[in-house]
Amino acid sequence: MANIQTQNWLLPRRSFLRGAGATLALPFLDAMRPLMAASTSSSLPVRLALLYMPNGVRQDRWTPAGDGSGFKLSPILSPLEKHRQDLLILTGLQNKASFSGDGHYVKTGGWLTGTTITKTTGSDIAAGGVSMDQLAAQQIGQRTKLPSLELGTEAVATGIDTNVNYTRLYASHISWKTSTVPLPCEINPRVAFDRLFRTRSKGGEKQATDDKSVLDLILVDTKRLQSKLGDADKNKLEQYLESVREVERRIEAEANLLGAGENLPPEILKQMDALDKRISKAMGKASREEELNSMPRFDHGEHCRIMMDLMVLAFWSDSTRVSSFMFGNDVTGRNFSFLEGVNGGHHDLSHHSNNGSKLDQYEKINRWHVEQYAYMLDRMKGIKEGEGNLLDNSMVAFGSPIRDGNSHDPKNVPIVVAGGGKAGLKTGKHIVYEPGTPLCSLWISMLETAGGKASNFGDATDGLRGIS
Amino acid sequence: MKQFVIFVALFALPLVGWSDDFANKATPLLSKYCCECHGEKTQKGGVEVHQLNSADAALRHHRFLENIAKQVESGDMPPDDEDLLPTDAERKLLADEIKSTLKKLETGDFPRNPGRATVRRLNRNEYNNTVRDLFGVDFLPGRDFPSDGAGGEGFDNVGDALFVQPSLTEKYLAASKKIIGSIYDDPQRLASVIFAKPNEKMPPDKAARTVLLTHASLAFRRRVTDEDLAPLLALFGKKLAAGASYEEALRPSLQSLLLHPSFLFRIEADQPGRSEWKVDDFELATRLSYFLWASMPDRRLLKLADEGKLSAPATLRTEALRMINDPRSETLSRHFAGQWLGFEDVRDIAQPDAKRFPTFTQSLRVSMYRESVEFFNYLVRANRPARELIQSDYTFVNAELAQHYGIAGVEGTQLQRIALADANRGGVIGQAAILTATSMPLRTSPVKRGKWILDTLLGTPPPPPPPDAGVLPGDDKSTAGLSFRETLEVHRTKASCAGCHEKIDPLGFGLENFDAIGRWRTKDANGKPVDSLATLPGDITFSSPKELKDLLLSSDELFMRNLARKMLAYALGRPLEYYDEPVVTDLVAKLRKDNLKMQTLILSIIESPPFQNRSAKR
Repeated sequence: MANIQTQNWLLPRRSFLRGAGATLALPFLDAMRPLMAASTSSSLPVRLALLYMPNGVRQDRWTPAGDGSGFKLSPILSPLEKHRQDLLILTGLQNKASFSGDGHYVKTGGWLTGTTITKTTGSDIAAGGVSMDQLAAQQIGQRTKLPSLELGTEAVATGIDTNVNYTRLYASHISWKTSTVPLPCEINPRVAFDRLFRTRSKGGEKQATDDKSVLDLILVDTKRLQSKLGDADKNKLEQYLESVREVERRIEAEANLLGAGENLPPEILKQMDALDKRISKAMGKASREEELNSMPRFDHGEHCRIMMDLMVLAFWSDSTRVSSFMFGNDVTGRNFSFLEGVNGGHHDLSHHSNNGSKLDQYEKINRWHVEQYAYMLDRMKGIKEGEGNLLDNSMVAFGSPIRDGNSHDPKNVPIVVAGGGKAGLKTGKHIVYEPGTPLCSLWISMLETAGGKASNFGDATDGLRGIS
Repeated sequence: MKQFVIFVALFALPLVGWSDDFANKATPLLSKYCCECHGEKTQKGGVEVHQLNSADAALRHHRFLENIAKQVESGDMPPDDEDLLPTDAERKLLADEIKSTLKKLETGDFPRNPGRATVRRLNRNEYNNTVRDLFGVDFLPGRDFPSDGAGGEGFDNVGDALFVQPSLTEKYLAASKKIIGSIYDDPQRLASVIFAKPNEKMPPDKAARTVLLTHASLAFRRRVTDEDLAPLLALFGKKLAAGASYEEALRPSLQSLLLHPSFLFRIEADQPGRSEWKVDDFELATRLSYFLWASMPDRRLLKLADEGKLSAPATLRTEALRMINDPRSETLSRHFAGQWLGFEDVRDIAQPDAKRFPTFTQSLRVSMYRESVEFFNYLVRANRPARELIQSDYTFVNAELAQHYGIAGVEGTQLQRIALADANRGGVIGQAAILTATSMPLRTSPVKRGKWILDTLLGTPPPPPPPDAGVLPGDDKSTAGLSFRETLEVHRTKASCAGCHEKIDPLGFGLENFDAIGRWRTKDANGKPVDSLATLPGDITFSSPKELKDLLLSSDELFMRNLARKMLAYALGRPLEYYDEPVVTDLVAKLRKDNLKMQTLILSIIESPPFQNRSAKR
């Protein structure tokens, strides 16, 4: 166990893949405190979560009154009252690259990339850049079992929006591994759970060896085939090569974990067990197999909260440090009639035409989303880590790429960041920026705070002032 | 000297530029009168003209040409309040130039190209069907794969929109393990897969070679090379040497077939040095089977391909007909028609409000979907005329759906073909799956239904609404004394809305007798009589679904063209390009020549140049 003291998660990849007794992705827990004599809380891993709400906000009920630390939360943000010391509410930001194009697809697709998506119904689908969570995955995610985790609640929207001539695919993806590879959200909590936490104790290592030799063969053959193809075809196989490599890396990481003995402490195992049961209960299927193979169709709130608990547990166990989550796809017809006083779909109500009753319903849907966000913050705060709690070592952003949904207004977008106090964020403030300040500056700040690097991102050349 | 300079300058010009009437006559007018509102910066109504700077560019960006010609000719565009308006002569010049481009497009009077589809990953459905046909595994191992996005004409089999991400690759790995595991768990099935075993005469590596050669050619849908086999055999040898039994030693090699790029992707070889070529017989077999079955070619097709016989026109036709008559061709209905017509949406996406519509049960949902599937499937199998998509005197129902439609005398859960007495119900427009998928959770949507007819059926989507258009209430119950229709009429008195909505909404009004889950009604949600009188611009009126269908059939060119276009796009698995337009013209001509028979359309697509050829460039 000596290498825990030397912070082996910082070792270059090669050495831990070879590494006998490597302890990749061990969670940082109080139980291990005595072994970590040399470390301070600042060496705890910093996590990054990006929570996406589609369809904008009721704009007159979003912005807090007053700035600095004396702000008063707006009606929509009021569920966050008890977390106010952990909040950075940022007013005046925008993603300039999303001003052209249509009302939704350009905004969703470019939220985390700061670029303009290619207008297309199919060929040459491209975001224009890598999303900031994927940049983080490249830079800090390689130290954990999964470089990043993409979760959501709605299947990828298929088909073409012939009104505006975009493929609907853009409305369902915020994470872009490269400019041309969007990452789909996992929407089935059982699948996500197993991907994160399945134990591989039974014959695990032998299986891993077999997997590895199969994947090696695939790597060699894919390269061989690739050399005979034209450019566009080559690119598709390159995507495959990349992902096979990544799966291989993950299998190695899991084998190493096993080699070190599944070192997860009892508290996490207990929580894991509880979540496991909760997923089964929510999905209401006869067997695990059925759960894995079914389209989740249960209470939307419970669905969102389970996905958030998965993120929390993934962070806590240091299975991943980067996660994105889409409450819903854009232009979603999801019916929010389950809320008292709401009668209709989210997207429909976002086009409120300034009608009072519709504005009220729109606001209720917005506030509901913030309540779910508050739930996640609650959970993270309840988990002790180092001198503080999990939230202190995590930055959890919540926002939408549109302000007023009625006019698809991309200026002054709604965005809040919570946590990160021990990672260097100065929270507890509402900051009003000059109109037109790049949202990408926030992404730069978050990346840097998480230990990554991004001197230029989208239309920004440096971080946001006043937050760290 | 002066003449010489001109002579040289002429040669310096690109050939297309030199006699380019479009660039000389149309482009200057477009930039003078249209580009301010429809240029690079703003695209009012989604229309853009700035790319139309040469004859070639006009062909490539032909989407708005017809509309532009109409608007310019009728004087609707530019709007009267513009400072700068074209003269009548200029209007005529521009319209004529555009029309001559459209004519070229229709007749194919330009350098032709069969096109080039990007390498296609098997989509989720194709993966399930393919492993079923390869190893007899029918538990849909791809069910938990993420759903596939769509491209081109809106289908999920377009290579450009099919990505491969690590999470999907993990699922491929898990599925491959599960599939091979299920074979190993069943001794009988294992014996049929590992059909050669070592004995005194046959050493293990030879037996393994036989087994792997067979399964690899099936999995890769082509002849396998030694280069392909060597790593599979090496893996087998390694396991055997480590002490595994013969069968166990084959396991990882069999598993790798399911992760192999030649299995997961539909790869078509390039032919260096040529600009276009006929695809080989194996590639043709694969194109055919994924078009008609959404699955791999069967052994008969592969055998014909191996013998080089498949591409002979008579054989190809016979095989195509055999495949159409095989139950597997139901995928044409499920995936092609389901995605085109949108009845796929009733399976999951459509969410009628449970309280308002308590009879909308899961089993009714499934029956609705099955009705549309069976209907289209019957059109294809029984070779019915394509006009029956618009109007038919039959449909498919079970007891639950019949009751939903108010049809007596149907029993059982099995769907059956019945004669329809009511001419309002027949055709896809009267099918509950489509009526439900084009409604809101709590009410009908004349706008959605109107748009469905314009966009989905006729292929003429209306332009996007302006951003501040607003929406109607989600519920049609009691809207301040106004009927829902009246509310809608008020809504579209705004000038910016009326232009389009007067063309969209009446189509939906004519269907108001169908409620939000497709039942027939004579009273609306507030108990008032349904007002289904509809007037389209040009004083075309109708007041029932039957009359609307009559209207659609009285001039069916748009519909037939759209049907041909959509099916061609599905068959090719790529977005259609301008050079496909003459192919579509030709398909419609063939369809008409043979009484609009569905199989004629399918066969004509299979026989068309883009289906049988591939080019070096897109």
